[in-house]
Amino acid sequence: MPGPRADAVEHALVALLGPARVSVRAADLATYARDMWPRALLAAVDGGPPAHPPDVVVWPETTDEVVQIVRLARRLGAPVVPYGAGSGVCGGAVPLHGGITIDLKRMDRVLSIDRDALVCEAEAGINGEHLERELARKGLTLGHFPSSIYCSTLGGWLATRSGGQMSTRYGKIEDVTLGLTCVTGAGDLLETGRHGRAAAGPDFTQLLLGSEGTLGVITRARLRVRPAPEVRHLRGFVVDDLTAGTEAIRRVLQRGLQPAVVRLYDALDSLMALRHARKDASDGGGDGGGDGGGTPAPRRAARRPGPAKDLVSSLLARLGLASGGGLTRELVEAALSRPRLVNLLADRAAGLAGRGCLMIIGVEGSRARADVEAELVFAELTRAGARDLGPGPGERWFARRYAVSYEMPRIFTAGAFVDTMEVASTWERLPDLFDSVRRAISRHAFVMAHFSHAYVDGCSIYFSFAASAPNREAAERRYDALWHDALTAATRAGGTISHHHGVGLLKADFMADEHRESMAVFHALKASLDPDGIMNPGKMGLPLPEAAPWSR
Amino acid sequence: MVALVDDLDDMLAAAVGAAHARRQTPTAAGFAHERGHPATWVVRPGAPAEVAEVIRAAARAGAAVVPLGTGSRRRTAPLPVGRPRVLLELGRLAHVAHLDETSLLVHAQAGLTGIALENLLVPRGLTLGDFPPAALRSSLGGLLAVRTPGKSSPRHGSLEDAVLGLSAVLADGRTIHTRVAPRRATGPDLARAFLGTEGTLGVITQVVLRLRRRPEARLFDAHRFASVDHAVVALAAAFHKEARPAAARVYDADETRAHFGDGLAHADCALLVVATAGPRELAALDRTLIADAARAAGADPLGAAPAELWWRRRSGHALHDAPPVQPALVLFAPWARLGAVHRAARSAARAAGRTARAHLSRFDDEGACVFITLLDGERADPAGPARAAVLASTRAAGGLPPGEREPALAPALAALKRALDPDDLLNPGVLP
Repeated sequence: MPGPRADAVEHALVALLGPARVSVRAADLATYARDMWPRALLAAVDGGPPAHPPDVVVWPETTDEVVQIVRLARRLGAPVVPYGAGSGVCGGAVPLHGGITIDLKRMDRVLSIDRDALVCEAEAGINGEHLERELARKGLTLGHFPSSIYCSTLGGWLATRSGGQMSTRYGKIEDVTLGLTCVTGAGDLLETGRHGRAAAGPDFTQLLLGSEGTLGVITRARLRVRPAPEVRHLRGFVVDDLTAGTEAIRRVLQRGLQPAVVRLYDALDSLMALRHARKDASDGGGDGGGDGGGTPAPRRAARRPGPAKDLVSSLLARLGLASGGGLTRELVEAALSRPRLVNLLADRAAGLAGRGCLMIIGVEGSRARADVEAELVFAELTRAGARDLGPGPGERWFARRYAVSYEMPRIFTAGAFVDTMEVASTWERLPDLFDSVRRAISRHAFVMAHFSHAYVDGCSIYFSFAASAPNREAAERRYDALWHDALTAATRAGGTISHHHGVGLLKADFMADEHRESMAVFHALKASLDPDGIMNPGKMGLPLPEAAPWSR
Repeated sequence: MVALVDDLDDMLAAAVGAAHARRQTPTAAGFAHERGHPATWVVRPGAPAEVAEVIRAAARAGAAVVPLGTGSRRRTAPLPVGRPRVLLELGRLAHVAHLDETSLLVHAQAGLTGIALENLLVPRGLTLGDFPPAALRSSLGGLLAVRTPGKSSPRHGSLEDAVLGLSAVLADGRTIHTRVAPRRATGPDLARAFLGTEGTLGVITQVVLRLRRRPEARLFDAHRFASVDHAVVALAAAFHKEARPAAARVYDADETRAHFGDGLAHADCALLVVATAGPRELAALDRTLIADAARAAGADPLGAAPAELWWRRRSGHALHDAPPVQPALVLFAPWARLGAVHRAARSAARAAGRTARAHLSRFDDEGACVFITLLDGERADPAGPARAAVLASTRAAGGLPPGEREPALAPALAALKRALDPDDLLNPGVLP
């Protein structure tokens, strides 16, 4: 925004909220200029001023204050970007056109917990782990465990249709949301789902979930909660290959059995997962699962250079190209910049190892039900040809299940990046989705994958990849080419381009392919709820308003 | 305008074939009170592309388009008057486009009825789920365009949640297909704009629905409680222990007598019948969880027979001795209000010189539907003044009459309507 208007916005906000909850300090503006989008991290590590800082950051404490802020923004023509904990990985919270960033973290109360109706109402800014802890005090759980649970908010989950690791049992966040309080871009208050299933008309809750701040600011949600699990059965299995593994999972789910978590790693990811497991065991780690539903603190990451390089070092060592810890930095970087070769070697290594693919499966719930269901699930897997490894691998996964998010940033030394991509499709299209996306990524980066978040009708695939380039510009080029090829491949294979990370800036240009003509419905939602186009402009492939002073 | 209306005759015939476009005189259509109305057509498109053609033709002529599905449901909104109108009957769109037995999905056209689809699925060992057969009588498009409680089950959630995607024709004639994936994080669930909006934002032509395998085992049980409240409390306790029956129903004493004769009923008792389903061990577990909760609430076990009879009647395999009376009222109530709604119905009816009997059915996570029958002596009194009194007092007790709009959402819905259908072409007058 031009300076004078930014000043006017700031003054109006100070008049509304007082000086303590409005900031234009350089450090704040830099902090709120990005989230955890890896492409933005590449730039951040490279130094220099942030490309897209907000003009002002505010910290409202009530829904009514949010209403006043949005109305003020609309009157003065300022973009508005809602901000939770900034853990998004798609650039969704980047204030592309400046304006007002609304940090919701001061709206962090649990408003009510109804043990009988199993409903909880909370404000959007509450930290995910705090919410889960409040529920645990009452013997309840939301069942939503993203690996970012310590650094993400309820509002962020709702805005992006977040998924937790136990989604096969509890569903994704959209499956447990009964109603929302949302301040639309028009400055109106929208309360959805008050009448539950008795209401006629469309389910506005599902029309707001996943809108990533482009339609309004979600300030509260009513959520379905469940009794905390009395028992948890975790188990590892080995299957011959991914086809056998996905087939076994499909059989379990389509028989009407409902595990809490199912993860199937490709040969290379299996190698890494088992290696981590052994390393933990020798470190005296693997502090076991079955802790009765509490959330363990994130493990301190071991003293390693970072997962991507670590992974490559270990792989090269395994291939006999280098000895364990004595790998030179040059060799690792050389490997990361030659993804085709490394992928080929990795495939061969995994093939030679001949250990098949690792599957982690967990069943939890009331003792009566989970005990019976676990027996049935494990027996079905055995019938499908899976070999039982006992509880060890599952419990070790459980103990480390939040660790990966905290290791990621450390890889971003000049030119190197790691990122993840979560696509999904029906079972019918899943093999094609896996092959085509993997092929697309492997042209640009070292890649491995696992299947997680399985449902009766389909499954998601989680690709992890790493690459490096001589400098930031080259890395960005490689990053963009990779995502272009991989997302195009996902759409062509009939899958969705995102299962639970969202769209943001990263996938904005691919929304037209994802939704084709039905994008018209999203445009109509945008036009009706945010008539001036002030809400998180430039995201999700929505057009910018032509008349707005901040859009060119 | 007249020229346009005559053109519409030709355009509609061209769109769907002359045999499937019929111009009606008001009296023939049964709209005698609308003498002088410009013109009404009934068209029966045979393909989704023809629906788009019809909508484009209607738009050119300034005619309203009213989707009818198979027309099984009583229309609650008046037909638009003062402008020509095209009634869109979708009964010919009754094909299964794709049955994906790997992913357990069916891509079915909107004119197919739920029952007809179920009949296609059963021989393949598949089913839509535990939804009440009575709720599946309408066309799929109609079922999904109108949002009412009770199209749900404890095991399989609501029918709406079984929609993985859909195709629809918008007011501008564009056909959309929402992206089909088990879950997505690519913006709002755009299909939801058409679920519950009664054809006002677009005409649903095809839906992608989740299917289930038919259960390996189905078990039945029945319990007699001291009161409806006791039965509801026991069932709620079982749900909290993760019991997920295929269906359950609670009859009050008079309703028990009416449905099962005098043998089962006591003075103020209530009868609970349940069906559980799934792998045998889980079906048995669900039955045990409910039986344990019933015993803890002091219920008498009655064995499987009453529930088996209920199930056979429910699926049309057994008839009632006398045809059941149509309930005067159906209300949805959350779990905590079910008992109060039932008591309110009884006492309000008594105060009005009538008897109310009721059953509670279509239980799910949120609550259940209360079906209330009003009697004047032995004779049903579905529409007398007592109904209004019972409605008022059950509402006060926390019951929600289905089909009411949330007034707070009306402006947002109206704005969405303006954005998608600025000329108010589709089902005008239905949205407030």
